[in-house]
Amino acid sequence: MRVSLRWLQDYIDLPTEDPAEIGRAFDMLGHAVEETETFRADWTSVVIGKVLTVDGIPNADKVRVTTVDVGEAEPYQIICGAWNFDAGAIVPVALPGAVLPGDFKIGSRTIRGVESHGMICSARELGLGEEADGIMVLADDAPIGEPFETLLELPDVVFDLEVTNNRPDVMGMVGVARELAAWFDVDYRPPVIELATVPGEPDLAITITAPDGCNRFTAREVRGVTIGPSPLWMQDRLRKAGVRSISNIVDVTNYVMMETGHPLHSFDADRIEGGVLDVRWSTPGETLETLDGSTIELTPEDLVIVDEAGPTSLAAVMGGARSEVSDATTRVLMEAASWNPPTVMYTSRRHDMRSEASARFERGVDPNLAVMADDRACQLLVAIAGGEVLESQIDIVANAFSPISIDLAVRDVERFLGEGFDAQRCAGLLRRLDLEVSATDETLTVIVPTYRRDLTRPVDLIEEIARLADFDTFDSTVPTGPVGGLTPDQVRTRRLQTALRGMGLSQAINLPFVSPEELAAFGGGIGEVVSVRNPLRDDQSKLRQSLLPGLLRNVRDNLNRGARSVGLYEMARVFYARPWADDGRVPDQPNRLAVAIAGPFGPAVLGRAAAAADAEVALGIVSAIADRMGVEIGRTAAQPPGFHPTRTAELDLNGQAVGYAGEVHPDVVADYEIDGRVAVVEMELAPLVAPVAAPLMAPVSNYPHVEFDLSFDVPPALAGGDLVDATVKASILLERADVFDDFVHPESGQRSIAVRYRLRAPDRTLEREDIDGQRDAMVAAAAALGGTLRGES
Amino acid sequence: MTEENNQDPEVDLDAKLEEMMLNLRLPDPADLQDEIDGITSSEALAEFEKKHLGKGSSIAGEMRNLGRLPQDQRREAGRRINEVRQAVQGRVNERQEALTVQERAASMAAEGIDVTVDHRQIPIGSLHLIQQVIDEVSDIFTGLGYHVADGPEAELAWYNFDALNTPPDHPGRLESDTMYLDYGKPEDEMLLRAHTSPVQARYMEQNPPPVYIVSPGRAYRNDTIDASHLPVFFQIEGLAVDENIKFSDLKGTLEEFARQFFAPDTVVRLRPHYFPFTEPSAEVDVSCFNCDRGESSCRVCGGSGWLEMLGCGMVDPAVFEAVGYDPDAVTGFAFGMGVERLAMVRHGIDSIRHFIDNDLRFLEQFQG
Ligand SMILES: [Zn+2]
Repeated sequence: MRVSLRWLQDYIDLPTEDPAEIGRAFDMLGHAVEETETFRADWTSVVIGKVLTVDGIPNADKVRVTTVDVGEAEPYQIICGAWNFDAGAIVPVALPGAVLPGDFKIGSRTIRGVESHGMICSARELGLGEEADGIMVLADDAPIGEPFETLLELPDVVFDLEVTNNRPDVMGMVGVARELAAWFDVDYRPPVIELATVPGEPDLAITITAPDGCNRFTAREVRGVTIGPSPLWMQDRLRKAGVRSISNIVDVTNYVMMETGHPLHSFDADRIEGGVLDVRWSTPGETLETLDGSTIELTPEDLVIVDEAGPTSLAAVMGGARSEVSDATTRVLMEAASWNPPTVMYTSRRHDMRSEASARFERGVDPNLAVMADDRACQLLVAIAGGEVLESQIDIVANAFSPISIDLAVRDVERFLGEGFDAQRCAGLLRRLDLEVSATDETLTVIVPTYRRDLTRPVDLIEEIARLADFDTFDSTVPTGPVGGLTPDQVRTRRLQTALRGMGLSQAINLPFVSPEELAAFGGGIGEVVSVRNPLRDDQSKLRQSLLPGLLRNVRDNLNRGARSVGLYEMARVFYARPWADDGRVPDQPNRLAVAIAGPFGPAVLGRAAAAADAEVALGIVSAIADRMGVEIGRTAAQPPGFHPTRTAELDLNGQAVGYAGEVHPDVVADYEIDGRVAVVEMELAPLVAPVAAPLMAPVSNYPHVEFDLSFDVPPALAGGDLVDATVKASILLERADVFDDFVHPESGQRSIAVRYRLRAPDRTLEREDIDGQRDAMVAAAAALGGTLRGES
Repeated sequence: MTEENNQDPEVDLDAKLEEMMLNLRLPDPADLQDEIDGITSSEALAEFEKKHLGKGSSIAGEMRNLGRLPQDQRREAGRRINEVRQAVQGRVNERQEALTVQERAASMAAEGIDVTVDHRQIPIGSLHLIQQVIDEVSDIFTGLGYHVADGPEAELAWYNFDALNTPPDHPGRLESDTMYLDYGKPEDEMLLRAHTSPVQARYMEQNPPPVYIVSPGRAYRNDTIDASHLPVFFQIEGLAVDENIKFSDLKGTLEEFARQFFAPDTVVRLRPHYFPFTEPSAEVDVSCFNCDRGESSCRVCGGSGWLEMLGCGMVDPAVFEAVGYDPDAVTGFAFGMGVERLAMVRHGIDSIRHFIDNDLRFLEQFQG
């Protein structure tokens, strides 16, 4: 809502003209000032003149020579290229020495031997509009010789207000004045309506057959109207309000809308087929031709105004071409109707036709303003376009709105706002808003007029009291909760992130939308997928079931941007439809942790990058995570979709499958156009960060240790990890076991694993027989699984 | 090495005489000193030590012969052999110490590095800036006695709208604003939550007052990606419900937050606004931390001196009714802030897209 200060002053005498102070008032009333724009006369030495003579110039058929009285002793001779005026016209004249917008300097010159002193100006040359098909012709009573800017309200300040959705009343100048009157505690004055009418009844029959869409339809007929441009003062105000000037008839409807907040529409009464109008829901297949010549398809949810020939207007949103006023219009039906807000909201969005009118109807225009707005429009119309208003007004009320009464307990005001709000103060503040208040010490009874449809409950009045008390005057106090802090899961989630960061991994955040192809790559099943009904893009309509597609995109993008290695992790939800999806519960949406690494991983030495990440890195990360989080994560070879079939492990934690670690399947890697291997981990987050029992200290022995190596031949069917685990479990004195070699003999194809064991006793120095006994037990345990000792040292 | 090594026993004439009487062939330690002094490396010194003290040395030989001596001479001979051995060992040790000092110095001189060049890169990852802000804000509020609560992102429309007093025809419910799911029965309409506020309703349903929570998380809007919009973004919701929560508590809490997050002298301004689930509602501006009351050249505030930061208000009684609280017994406040906005303002980030590009060159800038 653009509010011109000079226009506003028609309705209120403000105690200040300081734009900053008025701007603050708007801000603190809740109508945030998005922009403050200053309007000034952007020219010098332009005066009002009267054209005395107009003559042709020999051999110059595009221009004419005029003499213009500018209030000086002698008229000025000025050559003019415009043809939209004759002798007697009152015009703006830029005198020699004038400077027009754009630093355009006006002087004297001679064309084909004819002198020209100054220029007769068009609206565009003065920066007042786009029109350039002629000079400005001013009102006949404009004072000759006076500066042109005296005809305009300049200088002026325009506040562009952000009016919240609940305040239709602030979408008109009168309502804005009422708000400022409350803030500054002064009076405001609505426009005075003096409507002269002639006897007569409109020759039109109007009905509302859709009362669920239309609250009230009010209209008057005005006869004998002369269409033309609207007067300069009205154009000037509309320009500042951000509304383009069309014609006097249309400008009046917009002007009164800006003034009262109630939109209006003008029909050419002679073009209403059959002289009947009805408000009804559209029927399938109906169309409407709009003013710009395009045709829109209507739906049964659209409310239309129809005559005998069908829809002639999309109610509240757009007039149709068929009954719109034109240059030939003389009989106007000036309509002020109010519509059901949701209908307007849906229709204006459906047809992408949002306008100043729809913005007001969506908020909810007060039907009780209709008669006033209609009368005001007719008053202005006859004043600027002539004609006469018929005495009888059409006024069909489909839904009546009445003021409501709200009881407000003073105690509740203090519960919300604190001390210092007694009945007297509250009543005083509410009365400043023009509300009718009767008060006892405990209760206020407040009558709310229908233009404040946002006030329906006591708490709504508490907000009004707080607003007018000025939010800036409230104290600052800080309450604290009884106990706070992070839960153990939250603490452990942070600890996990610290660990991942220490491994050189950076956190990524991706959108959760994926294409069906991306979903399928990691086994997203059709039956379990959750889809978005109204996705941003059709190829991003599924909710992810794996974090890997997003991370793979990030890996690819970073490599393409020149990164030599990429290590990322993400923690986020994945989404699974539940098989019993109609039980009213939301989809399963567990949090996951995923890691993706490509390129060298780990510290690099000058000139020599670390080895490229592969499945072993992924498994090492899992082990490191397990150590850091104090959990045991088991691994079994697995072939989940999307993963490398021979380099991937399924992970389990406390006997529960929690995810996978390994490499991405080469096919998928190729689909993402990545060169080389991508090491990945994806696992459920909840079991990982679930609290674990505080560990009890294991004794730290001060006795010396012994180390020895054993290497075993491993049969093909035996998992190496199982063999190592068996040897570890076989020794009660084992402190540590590290696999340091795992190889396949080239000739025999026999696989061997070499392990370095470290033994230490808690209570003594190990003797030879201790060591031998432990070693024998380990070898025996390996043998029990089929692993034979190959060598030792 | 033992202490004895430091005692180089004087080899006197008597001893020499005795040695001859015992018929022992032992070197004179003093005679060896010149040779020891001439040794210039630890390796050569080790050779010398082997020759004079090792298995093949005369000292070792005499020691082995000790058993063949008559009983009455053994003790004296043993004493004498030891004396010489220790004297020689002492001189060797002394030389070794000097050589060690020399050799270490030479070695250090040779192994110098240029400390101004990185020859190794030890990679360290980074926490996403969004996560850093979430953690920081959470810490500020846990310090005020709040818990951190979580809730589903795929959510029932009831929690997202109805429980929060949003009218059936609110424009926020339109498909042009909110993303809906193809899921469940029509009467249990589901969506991707448009704000983190549903967590409020769920938490209050599950927990009696008092409630002091913040809930960070993703929110979804049907917005096309551009420099200032993402369809998925992060919010932090705050809620305090207690017996005596007043408007001043809301103001003071947000001021305390802003002072910890932006700068200690930050001022907060509340302006009336409209949200369906709070009343009175307010938009919150914080004073610019980058300039003094709005300098026209300030690139953070653009000269206004204020930064629009979040929305808040007193919890609407209708919300309490929806979750089963008695609106006559408790009052509360709620606020919601955009995490991206907090980060962009504080770190001068020019486009919200950076947050989802996951470009390492961006991510690694913020090591927090
Ligand atoms: Zn600033």
